[in-house]
Order: sequence, then C-alpha cells, then structure tokens
Amino acid sequence: MDAVTVKGLTKKFGNKTVLDNLSFECRDKEFLCFLGRPGAGKTTLLRTIAGLEKIDEGEVQIRGRRVNDVIPSERDIAMVFQNLALYTGWTVYDNIASPLRAHKVPKNGIKKSVAEVAKLLRIEHLLERTPVTASGGEKQRIAIARALVRRPQVFLMDEPLSNLDALLRLNMRVELKRMQRELGQTIIYATPDQLEAMSMADRIGLLYKGVMHQLADPETIYSHPATKTVAGFIGSPSMNFIDGSVNYVGVKTVLDFGAFKLDISKYRSVVESEGSKSELTLGVRPENLKVTHEKTSPESIESLVIMEEPLGSETIIHVKIGDNLVKAIVPPTFETIYREKVWTDIDINKIHLLDPKSEKVIL
Amino acid sequence: MASIRRILKFVVIALALLPSLFPIYWMVMTAFKPHDEWVTKEAILFTTRPTYENFLILFNPEATSYVSFTAIRTSIYHALYNSLILSIGGTILALVVGTLAAYAMSRFRAGGDVMPQLILMFRMMPPIAAMIPITIMYSAFRWVDTHQGLIVTYGLFNLPFVVWLMKSFFDDVPREVDEAAFVDGWSYWGTFTRVVLPLTYTGLAVTGLFIYILTWSDFLVVLLLTNVRADTIPIFLANYSTAYGELYGPLAATGTFAIIPPVVIGLAIQRYLVRGFTFGAIKR
Repeated sequence: MDAVTVKGLTKKFGNKTVLDNLSFECRDKEFLCFLGRPGAGKTTLLRTIAGLEKIDEGEVQIRGRRVNDVIPSERDIAMVFQNLALYTGWTVYDNIASPLRAHKVPKNGIKKSVAEVAKLLRIEHLLERTPVTASGGEKQRIAIARALVRRPQVFLMDEPLSNLDALLRLNMRVELKRMQRELGQTIIYATPDQLEAMSMADRIGLLYKGVMHQLADPETIYSHPATKTVAGFIGSPSMNFIDGSVNYVGVKTVLDFGAFKLDISKYRSVVESEGSKSELTLGVRPENLKVTHEKTSPESIESLVIMEEPLGSETIIHVKIGDNLVKAIVPPTFETIYREKVWTDIDINKIHLLDPKSEKVIL
Repeated sequence: MASIRRILKFVVIALALLPSLFPIYWMVMTAFKPHDEWVTKEAILFTTRPTYENFLILFNPEATSYVSFTAIRTSIYHALYNSLILSIGGTILALVVGTLAAYAMSRFRAGGDVMPQLILMFRMMPPIAAMIPITIMYSAFRWVDTHQGLIVTYGLFNLPFVVWLMKSFFDDVPREVDEAAFVDGWSYWGTFTRVVLPLTYTGLAVTGLFIYILTWSDFLVVLLLTNVRADTIPIFLANYSTAYGELYGPLAATGTFAIIPPVVIGLAIQRYLVRGFTFGAIKR
C-alpha cells in the first residue's frame, strides 16, 4: 500500500494558488524528494501532508486513510522543520522524548526508544545537555531523532540541510540515505538543491509555482525531462536552449538557427508525431557539447569564446554562436583566450527538442 | 590614548547616572540622620552620627519619644502587608490573564488586528478617568477598601502592558516550535505551558518586575479605593506630611525600606533578565 496518496490537492493563500491540483503517491519505504526554487510550494505541500495547513480542494491519504480532517499528531507522521524548532529549554533527552511523552508512552519504553534512536544518530553523548550547546550538525541530528523516535509512517523533512555548511551537508546527505535504507523509512523531503535530490531520492517531483512538472526517478528526470522548466532546472550548468525554425527539405529535416543548421532527420518521426511544428527549441546540455580549437567535422560550428570558469576537474566555457550564448564543458587542460575562434560540435544523439509554445519536451 | 578614552567614558557614565542615583543616595543618607540633621537648613551630605531612630518610628511609633508631637501612631506593618498582597496579587493576575491573551493574539490572531490596538488604547486613557466610575461601581458591591477590589483593579490597569510585552516575546518564538510540539502530539494547552511558555521566561520575568514596580508604587488607585483597611506604603508615606511639617527622616526611612522588595525581586530574577531567551532555539 502506498504510504501517502495525494489527489487533486489545491491550496490557496488568499487569491494566490500555491499548490495547483497536485496528484501523486509516495510508495512505502520510498525516499521521495520535492525539488523546486524557494516559493515553489514545497514547504506548503509538506505542511498540508503534515496537517499544519488546511487544504482547499482534494484529498490526502496516509496508508489509505483519508486524513483531511485529522490533526497532525494523529496522522502518524513526523516532521523536521527547516529551522529545526528544537525546544531549547529542555535537555536533548527531553527533546527526543517529547513525542513519546505526548503520546503517554510508559517511562521504560521512552528510555529504551530514546537510547536506540540516539545510538542510531550518534548523539548519545549529548542527551543530558541542552540543544543550545550542540553544534550545527548535532542539532540537525537531534531534530531528526525527535522526529524518528516514534517510528512514524511518514517522515517529512523540509530543507533540513539547507543551513549547514557545505562539507557537513555532504556528510549528512550520506548519513540520511544510510539511515533511510537501514530503517526502511518512508521519507518525503523538500529541497531546492538538485544535488541533494539527485543523490538521495528514489524519485524526484519537480515543483514550479505550485505545479508538479514531473515526478520520476533521478535518471529519467535527467535524461528525459518533461518540460523546459525541468530541463533547465536539473543539471549544472543548466541546459542550453536555442530557438530555431524547422525546414522540411525533401527527405531531410533541418533545424535552422540562422548562424548554423542542424540536421535532425533521424528524429523526423518524433517531430511529425508532434504535428510538424515550424518552430522548435533545441535543448542541449553543456556536457553534450564538444568545443575544440580545430574544425573536426563538416558540422562543426564556428563560435567565439566569451568566458571560462575553471572548476578544477573540468572547465565551463561560455561561447557565442551567432547571437546565442552557450555553455559547454571542456577538459581543464583546454586553454583559450577571450574572443578566440573555436569550433563547437553538438552530440546529435543527446539533444532535446522542445515546443516553444507549450514548453513541452518532445524529445 | 586608550586609557584617556576609558576615563572619559567613565566620566560620561558617572555624569549620566548622577541625576538618578544621587536622590537615592540622599534618601538613604537622610534615613540614617538624627533629627537635628534632617531639619537643619544647611545640607549635610554625609552624617557622622548615624542612627536608626527613623526606622524605629516606622516599626514602633509608641516607643519613640522624640516625635511625640506628631499624630503618628500607626506602624508600617499593616501598610507593608497590604502593599505586598496587593502588588503581588495584582501582578500575578495581570500576568496570568495577559499572558494567555498575548499567546492567543500571537498565535491564533485572536481578536484580529483590532484587539491589540484596543487594549493599548485602554491604557492611553488617564487612569483617573476610569477610577471614578470604578470607585462608584465598587461601592455598590462593597469592594472599596478590600484586597480583591484593588487586585482586580491593578490586574485590569496593567493588562495592556502585559499583553503587549508578552505578545512581542511570543512573536519572537518561531511558530515552528509550536507546530513541532503539535506534531509531537501535545495539545494546545500542553504546547503553550510546556514548550512555548518556558521559552519566554525571560520576558515573563521582565514583564512581571515591571508590573510589580508599577503596582508597588501606585498612589492614585489605592488613594481612591481605600480608607483604612487596605492602605499601602505610598499612602502610609503621606502620613508623614503632617500639620507639624514634613517629617523627612521617617519619610526617607520609609522610602529606603520601600525600595527593598523590588530590588530583591530584581536580583532574584536577574539570571532570567540577562539570559538570551531563545538563544539557540533556531538557526538564523
């Protein structure tokens, strides 16, 4: 049975629709990640599942039970808030014991559960102290321990790592995933960080302005994005988009960008099945562009170097093709100077085609 | 250079403190002066013949002979007892009601946007405007000159301060703390009393002390609402402005005695006053 089922969920704040007709299900023991910019509705979505926000339309089910009118503590969920919301006046032990005490679990049971979860999260040495004295990563673990101690059906986490420093975030990412696997815990997670989502999630739901653009596993979301928003959001640096017009010349189908042409005959059937549009947008990731000093093939496109960003293991190079600014990834050994003439090759097997009107990815 | 700046800083601070500390010094000093020194024309900055005579008059007027020309026959005990009961009672009443109201306004927007303003407006009115009707009302159900009448009045008068102060302290506690407690399974009441309220102990201490001092030093309300049974230290003080002149010695002794309770309470809650109250509660 699915852990959480959401049907036609709509949430408005005044006139503003923050969640627009969302439907999805979170499978049992799944790590489901909602990815989106700040303001996309991720937090609101988690809060509606938790029961902290009333929903305007639709239905939320937890383990098949409709919970629209059930208060948070009876939904069998736990939530880790972005600002953690630890109870600073209490000891760490009391913080973690809080959900058990609120549910009137006997003392011995509380002791055992707290000890277990503290051991799992490696915070046993903190139990007698207050959270005030704990470090950032420890506070994080205390918050997770408090949510975990009751072994809820569903674990909701709202950007729990966003306030940690970069290194700690990487460690916690691994640790969270380890914990999720060990316990077989269902987690619904919200983050603006695509690396977090890609590395941890079983499936990613991409939210944009309250609309779910795609819900799929990380591999699918990367290689088969559903919309321009998804294609542009996932991947770093983000995908290049170039608008062109389609020419149907005999057996050939050619995308004309003015500065260059691209033969897309091999995708003719796809283009035709989408209604043979006269305008299409080419989407190509920086890693699928090859920039060289010499012309390597007849298809190589003349380009001008505008800027380079050396990242150590690779270099991002910004080149100008006609009027379009395009980013590409080159090896760190690639040396270049400003406004140098270079040649760019597009990996025709790894391109995407988008309908510029609906912004749907058709290929 | 640095030491000159330091010295300058101390001089400036000393100058700033002088207007508020010197009268207190003068009062305490006068309290220990013998009779001839506090009636004399020239100012005696420091007495060389300290005496506790003035305090003796407060506690045992019968035993002192040298003010026998005055009509003072009552000791301070009764007024002290009343003052403690009324100010502590009034403070507790205002704190309990005001804190509950402030939490409701902070978290549930009880009363909408208007209610906090209305409550504040109540305090903008000069107290005397309300005192006349209250006095008439109380006389109808025989609450004049009673403890409960005064406690209710003090509670009512100080409610706006408590509401506004506590509301701002509650507003500083992140809402997520309430929500976390609510998700944990605590009831609204449990969330308030066990989780949120302890985070505002500092605010509660500050507010309580503030209200306590206001109530302790009140003259107007108690003047209108008491006759003999419920009079307090400020009323008792007025006894020493007699037909035979101002009895500065006993006045100063009463004043010195009257600042002790607020100071003691202030010291007792000092650790709450200085501690950052939501320190570390959230990541900022």
